Amino acid sequence: MKKLRFFFDFEREEKWLQEMAAKGWQLENVLFTYTFRKSDPAALLIRMDFHAFYSQSRYQDYLTLFEDCGWRHIAGYKSMGMHYFVRIRPDASDDIFSDAASKAGRYKRVSEMWLSLFACYLAISSSLFTTFSHSISIDSIIHPKTSFLTPDLWSLTGSAFWSAFIIESPFALFRILAPLFPVLYGICALAFLYQYRKCIKIWKKLSNSER
Amino acid sequence: MNRDPNLPLTETTYYVLLSLFEPAHGYAILQKVEELSDGQVRLAAGTLYGALENLEKQKMICQIPGNDPRRKIYGITEKGRTILILDYERMRSLISTTDKNILEVKQRHEKA
Repeated sequence: MKKLRFFFDFEREEKWLQEMAAKGWQLENVLFTYTFRKSDPAALLIRMDFHAFYSQSRYQDYLTLFEDCGWRHIAGYKSMGMHYFVRIRPDASDDIFSDAASKAGRYKRVSEMWLSLFACYLAISSSLFTTFSHSISIDSIIHPKTSFLTPDLWSLTGSAFWSAFIIESPFALFRILAPLFPVLYGICALAFLYQYRKCIKIWKKLSNSER
Repeated sequence: MNRDPNLPLTETTYYVLLSLFEPAHGYAILQKVEELSDGQVRLAAGTLYGALENLEKQKMICQIPGNDPRRKIYGITEKGRTILILDYERMRSLISTTDKNILEVKQRHEKA
């Protein structure tokens, strides 16, 4: 079974995945959507971490450390960053973090990932803006027709129109949506930064009240 | 006096550095920290990995070639050792200051 969900909160996502497992749906894979496998209902402890790896040996070291500690990796890809672990030893700790600061740190890493995507996209699109300023702009969202560059496309008729229209559509769609990507990346970066700040604030409040 | 920007170390960082006077892999570090702290500090995998990553970035620890392809061996660097000693001295002076003033501190506490 596949499900499409968006989360800005790790704890909510972990809780949802545990509820799915309790209903007999075990997480198998996460790539844009969540893929679940039918299984017996199980009370699982699922925890998430975020680390993007470029080197296979570092990634292996990371996975082995979690395994040694009683947590098995069930979903996530080396360089994508999001990793899902399930507790396999009952004597293992309840969480993969032992202090609030490191638990909040994962939000910071996600935020930095979105920020770097935002920066990359801005660098690429700003060069496109100057060379093809007529083809990529906010205008293209308001007037989608201008994103089709085939000469006289809109005066063509019948099959000549449709074949030209269908061939160019994916390119036009990209030109129309292009300005939306950095906006999306920026929103994600800010949302996770907000979560990070919130966690740190709660932690500071807690440690102050303990004193 | 200009204090090193890495000071003071967190408890996690301090114990990880202390445990790495003998090179070890991740899980061995956890066990060593637990042993050194008399069971007081039990680090979880995610917390330890984040600490190792940061310490390596700051060049306080480094990877040491080993035989196990699945587990990396970490060791303390000269910089790590220097900073650990600086933090140790910082805490010593903190303790000796506290010792000197302990009577006064106690009296104030009782009054309050």
